[in-house]
Amino acid sequence: MDDDASNPLRRVSSRTRKVASKMVAALASTDNRTQAALARLEALENDNAGIETVEPNDEDDDSLDEDDQVYMQKKQSKSMKRKTRQAKALEARKAPKTFLELLHEANLESLPSHVPSYLKASVGPPISTSRRHFCTVCGSAAKYTCVRCGIRFCSCRCQNIHNDTRCLKFVA
Amino acid sequence: MQQNVVVLDNGGGLIKAGLGGDRDPSTIIPNCLYRPLSSKKWLHPSPSSDPIDLTSAAVRRPIDRGYLINPDLQRDIWAHVFSSILHTHHVGPAHSALLLTEPLFALPSVQRATDELVFEDFNFAALYVADSPSLTHLYEASRRPTGLISRAQCSLVVDCGFSFTHAAPVFQNFTLNYAAKRIDLGGKALTNYLKELVSYRSVNVMDETFLMDDVKEKLCFVSMDVTRDLRIAKKSGKENLLRCTYVLPDGVAHTKGFVKDADEAQRYTALDEGDDQSQKPGTSMDWDQAHVTEKIEERKKTDLTKNEFDLTNERFLVPEMIFHPADLGMNQAGLAECIVRAVSSCHPHLQPLLYQSIVLTGGSTLFPRFTQRLERELRPLVPDDFQVKITSQEDPILGVWRGGSLLASSPDFEGMCVTKAEYEELGSARCRRRFFH
Ligand SMILES: [Zn+2]
Ligand SMILES: [Zn+2]
Repeated sequence: MDDDASNPLRRVSSRTRKVASKMVAALASTDNRTQAALARLEALENDNAGIETVEPNDEDDDSLDEDDQVYMQKKQSKSMKRKTRQAKALEARKAPKTFLELLHEANLESLPSHVPSYLKASVGPPISTSRRHFCTVCGSAAKYTCVRCGIRFCSCRCQNIHNDTRCLKFVA
Repeated sequence: MQQNVVVLDNGGGLIKAGLGGDRDPSTIIPNCLYRPLSSKKWLHPSPSSDPIDLTSAAVRRPIDRGYLINPDLQRDIWAHVFSSILHTHHVGPAHSALLLTEPLFALPSVQRATDELVFEDFNFAALYVADSPSLTHLYEASRRPTGLISRAQCSLVVDCGFSFTHAAPVFQNFTLNYAAKRIDLGGKALTNYLKELVSYRSVNVMDETFLMDDVKEKLCFVSMDVTRDLRIAKKSGKENLLRCTYVLPDGVAHTKGFVKDADEAQRYTALDEGDDQSQKPGTSMDWDQAHVTEKIEERKKTDLTKNEFDLTNERFLVPEMIFHPADLGMNQAGLAECIVRAVSSCHPHLQPLLYQSIVLTGGSTLFPRFTQRLERELRPLVPDDFQVKITSQEDPILGVWRGGSLLASSPDFEGMCVTKAEYEELGSARCRRRFFH
């Protein structure tokens, strides 16, 4: 039962799991640009803005008190060394796994190479790798790249707007 | 006794549900729960009689990246749907069969959870699981019994839906899944991209999923020439054929947003009418600073004083992603290459037939000029002696359901299903083998 001791991020609730996955990406890559690009792509699949919170499934999750309670419990569990089985079961029921977690569990890599699968159906990289760059501020053709986050802009003016309001937005 | 068959196209964006044999589904609702600002509770989407104000509403969806990952939430939504469909027929699921759509390559864990829902939670008497390409093919073949799709018994179905896009060859009513190819982009990502662009450039709409869906559906189109259209989008005043204005809801007089001037929004259609007079690229490229500066000033003014925002190049840069995901930084080929790869994975005898029988389905194929642009990109990638023919479905949102309705009313249907007794005896994995070939 000690498997999760090696990976403290595994244990925390799904509310923090999303944040955690971004942190893992951040730790794995010292490159802010890569990180920002990944976070931006991931955000395109979000249902709600910002970092997604996965909320409990029960009907009675609607009252504020209940929400608070759940939140309290999760906060507490984060600080606990080890959770009870009951708490784990509760958490499993309350937080459905994301598709990417289910995909990881399915271990499709181990299938023989002739078996069609989700992984093999991906279209794969384009033949021509030329990427057109559009200014993230105004949409024009973008010649310049922000050295901090890798996002594109077309002019000094757009660069200033970028720096003032959105640089590293997806990393923070 | 002829059983009731409930036909359920369980999309990530919309549920289409009704009884087999009918022409159209009786229920079309978003596959989600909402929590509007005014409510502490999660609500079911209301069919139309009582529209709720969805400004800044939060959303919960049972489907993530196309697949059913939250069975508890899906149970809630299905219960709501089934009660409205079956209610009037005085029969419960126990006396009905279910034809359910599921995307290609569903994981075994997802299939198991789905089967549990169908047989254990809802007690359906029988189940048939279908994929959208084969249902689309079936519908198109039946519409034109003498057409090529029907005679050659094959087609290449391009399904550009809410969660992702597939190009999948269908042969003799079966999807050739070894040849199917997927791009991880669909309507949801497009709406989110539009939110991002508008929030960056004018007003913060990051929480306005429903509003931005409406903006996307009413104002986005596919460009036939991105360089030219970017240039036009920078022009000022009347010369800018692409600019149009969307009015935000004020929460008082109107709870929904709307296009300010419908004629203005249609001006872009003049662009490709006289295709040969179009300017040569590079003749009047004016990427000059003054224009940009002026435009940004102009926008700032509008945003702060009025309850509306302008769109220009966002209108075509959003659908552009389907054709060039690399522009976004995704390491995936665009739609034309995706089709070529799917066709190339098939037997050489099938290939010319498939290029002549491309069928477009799914809500994201509804962008104006989607077909023309795809044809323009695809033609140079296909051998010269092959014809390219692309058909768009009469109703790309309902096409899959209509195919399901046809199948459900065919005499063979009952024999294709897995019954509850079989499920109980054999379990999910063995029953599932029946649906594949
Ligand atoms: Zn710019
Ligand atoms: Zn930056």
